[in-house]
Amino acid sequence: MKYIAPRSPVWIFFLLFTFCFFTPVQSAESELTILGETPPPGFDPVTGERIIPNERCLTCHGDAHEKTDTRDDGTIVDIYADPEKMEDSVHGEQACTNCHATIDRVPHREAPDVVVGCVECHRETWDKHRNDPEGKYERLGVVMETIDSYYDSVHARPNRHDQSETNATCYDCHEAHDIGTLGSLQRAEHRLKNPEVCGECHRKELNEYKESVHGKAVLEEKDSESAVCSDCHTTHTIDDPDSDKAKLSITKNCGDCHKEAQRTYFDSYHGQVHRLGYTNTAKCHDCHGGHSVKGEDDPTSEIHTNNRLENCRVCHENANENFLTFWPHGDADDRENYPGLWFFKIFMQMLIFSVMAFFWVHVFMWLYREVMDRIQGKGFIEDLNKPDVVYFRRFPAVWRWIHGLFAISTMTLILTGTTLLFAHTGWAKAVVVFLGGTEMEGIIHRTAAVIWLGIFLAHLTIAISNIWSKRDSFKWFGSTSMLPNWKDWDDLKGMFKWFLGRGPRPQFTHWTYWQKFDYWAPFWGAAIIGSSGIMLFAPEATAIILPGWMFNIATLVHAEEALLAAIFLNSVHFFNVHFRPERFPMSTTIFTGTIPIEEFKHDHRLEYERLVESGELDNHLVSRPSRRADLAASFITTVLIMAGLALLTLVLIGLMTSPV
Amino acid sequence: MSKFNRRDFIRWSAGMALASGSLSFPGLLLAATRKVVVVGGGVGGCTAAKYLRKLDPNIDVTLIETKKAYTSCFMSNEVLSGDRTIESITFDYEGLKRHGVRVVIDSVTAIDPVAKSVATESGDTFGYDACVVSPGVDFKWDAIEGYDEAVAEEIPHAWFAGPQTVTLKNQIRAMPEGGRVIIVAPPNPYKCPPGPYERAAQIAMYCKHHKPRAKIIILDPKDAFSKQGLFRQGWSKHYGFGTENSMIEWVGAASGGKVESIDPSTRTLEAEVEDFEADVINIIPPQKAGKVAYASDLVEGDWCPVDKLTFESTRHKNVYVLGDASSASKMPKSAYAANSQAKVAAAAIVAKFNDLHVGEPTFVNTCYSILSHDHGISVAAVYSLDRANNMINPIKGAGGLSPMDASDDQRKREVSYAHSWFKNVINDMME
Amino acid sequence: MRYNNIAILALLTILPALTQAESPSGQALAFTCAGCHGTDGSSVGPSSPSIAGMDPDVFVDVMKGYRNDKRNSTIMNRIAKAYTDEQLKGMAWFFAKQKLQVSPQNHDPQLAVAGEKLHNKYCNKCHEKGGAAGDSGTLAGQWMPYLRYSMADYIDGRRPYPRKMKRKVDAVLEAEGTDAVPALIHYYGSQQ
Repeated sequence: MKYIAPRSPVWIFFLLFTFCFFTPVQSAESELTILGETPPPGFDPVTGERIIPNERCLTCHGDAHEKTDTRDDGTIVDIYADPEKMEDSVHGEQACTNCHATIDRVPHREAPDVVVGCVECHRETWDKHRNDPEGKYERLGVVMETIDSYYDSVHARPNRHDQSETNATCYDCHEAHDIGTLGSLQRAEHRLKNPEVCGECHRKELNEYKESVHGKAVLEEKDSESAVCSDCHTTHTIDDPDSDKAKLSITKNCGDCHKEAQRTYFDSYHGQVHRLGYTNTAKCHDCHGGHSVKGEDDPTSEIHTNNRLENCRVCHENANENFLTFWPHGDADDRENYPGLWFFKIFMQMLIFSVMAFFWVHVFMWLYREVMDRIQGKGFIEDLNKPDVVYFRRFPAVWRWIHGLFAISTMTLILTGTTLLFAHTGWAKAVVVFLGGTEMEGIIHRTAAVIWLGIFLAHLTIAISNIWSKRDSFKWFGSTSMLPNWKDWDDLKGMFKWFLGRGPRPQFTHWTYWQKFDYWAPFWGAAIIGSSGIMLFAPEATAIILPGWMFNIATLVHAEEALLAAIFLNSVHFFNVHFRPERFPMSTTIFTGTIPIEEFKHDHRLEYERLVESGELDNHLVSRPSRRADLAASFITTVLIMAGLALLTLVLIGLMTSPV
Repeated sequence: MSKFNRRDFIRWSAGMALASGSLSFPGLLLAATRKVVVVGGGVGGCTAAKYLRKLDPNIDVTLIETKKAYTSCFMSNEVLSGDRTIESITFDYEGLKRHGVRVVIDSVTAIDPVAKSVATESGDTFGYDACVVSPGVDFKWDAIEGYDEAVAEEIPHAWFAGPQTVTLKNQIRAMPEGGRVIIVAPPNPYKCPPGPYERAAQIAMYCKHHKPRAKIIILDPKDAFSKQGLFRQGWSKHYGFGTENSMIEWVGAASGGKVESIDPSTRTLEAEVEDFEADVINIIPPQKAGKVAYASDLVEGDWCPVDKLTFESTRHKNVYVLGDASSASKMPKSAYAANSQAKVAAAAIVAKFNDLHVGEPTFVNTCYSILSHDHGISVAAVYSLDRANNMINPIKGAGGLSPMDASDDQRKREVSYAHSWFKNVINDMME
Repeated sequence: MRYNNIAILALLTILPALTQAESPSGQALAFTCAGCHGTDGSSVGPSSPSIAGMDPDVFVDVMKGYRNDKRNSTIMNRIAKAYTDEQLKGMAWFFAKQKLQVSPQNHDPQLAVAGEKLHNKYCNKCHEKGGAAGDSGTLAGQWMPYLRYSMADYIDGRRPYPRKMKRKVDAVLEAEGTDAVPALIHYYGSQQ
């Protein structure tokens, strides 16, 4: 024996010990044997499967001189995989058979099935390396998300003609042999190739795209900044283009490049509806053409002057020439291009600002004064030991009905109108869904508008007939007239003095100046909102007489004026009537039609005195409303106040979250 | 420790496996080199020696053979036709030496299975841990009256290739045109079952060109023989067998083919029915195990019984009897069989030395016969061991003869493969 | 290689349970082939093919072809029927691990040069590296009579062509005539 030494007893025991504990597992698991034979070189020692080196595959598949092969049935098949590109790709270190897992023999003994599963490998690799400290596999995280998106996309769904296949799978778009790392030339090339890749299946769309500004830039000028398919359709969340989801996503994606156009579009009626998640108004591609999008000057462009009207008529069947002067992207902030629009916006905003500024100052000062008075034990304080049993009749039933309906229709208009104005908010989307969509909302809005206008006109009729019937005795500037007079001016000044503690609270006649303002404001509103609303009510009819840009202006003023009304009514009017400490929490007079006599005396002393003097007072005195009537009035008032406050809140949220 | 190489590691691992099986710690770990003595330098002996070294180079293998060179019996019939020389089938033992086998030219007198030693004529003794005995066959000289070793010099058996093969060849060449050659075939069992019939064809092959009127008569104590149908077909095709002018005649047992005695002086054979005279006589006598087997008490009946799992003698431990001398039914006594058995025995011996499990044995026999330059036939079988009955059975559904309807091209290819068989068997046993 | 033998025996000792219907080891089975195919599969000729270093899948294909009488043979179809799939694989793995010892053969050097060109043009993609032992079988250094028989069997329809091979053979015969086959065979025979 040559090697006696290693076999000395000491070693025997040492090795006995070692092997007893460590080797059995190893010998049982590590090596596969068949009838005592281990796999030969070139075969996996554990699985016994053939290891096919990439070079072997490339003998045929990497031969640039013979890129195709002929199948047994005579069909030509592309078999080339560029070895250099492969090496540079993210999969450069992969063995061909890692993906082409069904290939177990080379040369293939039978025509091989191209069965490649990308997902499992990526998932496994990610699971294994997600915590890799060097972040080498970070990008795989994105791939994971991508895979999930893909599975939700239309491409992952079974093909209509062959359910054993999906519409498209990973390698239909990604040439796995040529996937570059981030920032690589291969990726840039892949981007430029995107239209061709998609066009493999979507031929018609590719042909249109080729003629488009995008297509020309990408395909002819190799401008990788211009839009390729995936920029609009996304890469992996692709949906059926007829689905709302896809349409919404496409519009959103247009804005990735065309930011201004998107902003102005979202400001338009079309854009607002779209923004609410509804696609039944014009979207980018409806006017500009989808795949065939071209510049305005191109006579074949859908937005060329010659073609535009036809475009409008897709939706607005009876659109006339005037539609052409509509500014679909009209921008009220753009003084240079849209001076008219700009002017109206500035005007309306100044109006809103000044009215609100004035009245909020008025509100806060009044509040201050009443609080101060209350602290000093002054002002109108209800005598709890002597509840009023005598009431003054202030409104006949007709006015009470008119006010109730007017309030409800106004609120309905605010709600349905501001959802469009604040389409960016979550609440708007929720409301529109609740109402049953934008079309239903439009119906509700128009219905409410008709009611609103109807009430307005009814009121006018009644008022005029009242005046007519008393035409002999009616004093235009008398105490019961709604017409403003100099006393109102003095009262206003007196109120401010009182607010500042520099004078007594003025004494009022039948109507105070703020009541007159509340009364006359809707006249202005009805004129502005009503006229613009009528224009927008039926655009095709409007366009018969008005130019298209009137829609822009009408939309703008309609919204701004409505905004003013919404804020004014739900803040200033509420304060003046309900929230000032003397009235808090509410006044139900407009629904009961009566006011406690003490309260009447306090707010309308001059009228009270006049009536006492003329002995007419008794004609106006009524008994306290029934408990039932009182409760009903309180209930209705509460509901309306709550609704109004809610609307105010929503409007303020919308205003504050408005995109600049 | 640096000399603790992979081989040692394997041994250690193997030992550990056994240790964990609660066997006693194997002797191999501390053992000195094991010795194997191989008696007989034929196919069985040589193959065993080579494969013992191949499977475990630590075994000390000594092969003892009487003759300095080995002359293969297989293909020796081609010497008779003149297709090859006796030298072309004679090989030295240098190849075996290159495998680390010690080759001793001497005659073994006996094996002492108790002392585990082998004694030779020159007085040497060789101790062994295992002894492989592959002595081949010996003749039953008393079976045919008048025929003995001395007579065989003139009337050759030529059944051990060598000088007698040349003698027989020369006698045929010296025979007058129209002369008669008689081949006396042996009864079963004997080595190389198709040999006598191939011999007839090879002699006919010579005669066809040089002595076209010659007759070759086979006197056979059997009623059937190996590859009979194929031989008859081949003889018919090339040598007119079955016609009036057939060059080859076969006289089976039923026709009185059994030879009782010979008168060497008149070259007359006395068979059961009639006497036969001939110009050239080739007697292949009945056979039994080789002399050494008898001297070493390994024989029962005519042959040496063995445990067919290992080919260890059932009469004496550590003695392994291979090849023609062993009783290896149902394998024929052929070179390929001996070659196959030798590997089984070698693996068994190595397993035993290393205290390892003896694997299931497997055997193959292939045997070619060349009937003319372009006509070869073969028989093949793959065998497995039926341990319960100690019987080596051919695997059903496999093996068998060349098809009767093979094309000429196939027959021609078999000649070429027969020559390959020859070269590769020689190569495998001693190169 | 030698050292492996004991390892194999050792494995067979450790894992007898794995071979329930006990089979001879791959090595033992392979040893029985040596009489025709040479020790460990390196044939010394003149026509039995060498199977040392042979691709194991090709080995199994070939043996199954014989076993099912799908492939023309003289004796191998009779022998192959004796083996199970597992045994074929065991033998295949044994032979795949053996180094092919190539014996010199008489050949026509000029024909061999012509053959090399043809090989590179028509055959090298499958039989890469000049037809050296590989996944498409062993041509380089293979015994020439065997190659001749094989080509005759292919061309005469006695042996099914592997996928696409017929196309190549037809092409080379069409382009180069019947001398192509001997040229190729001499090229393979010329390789040591």
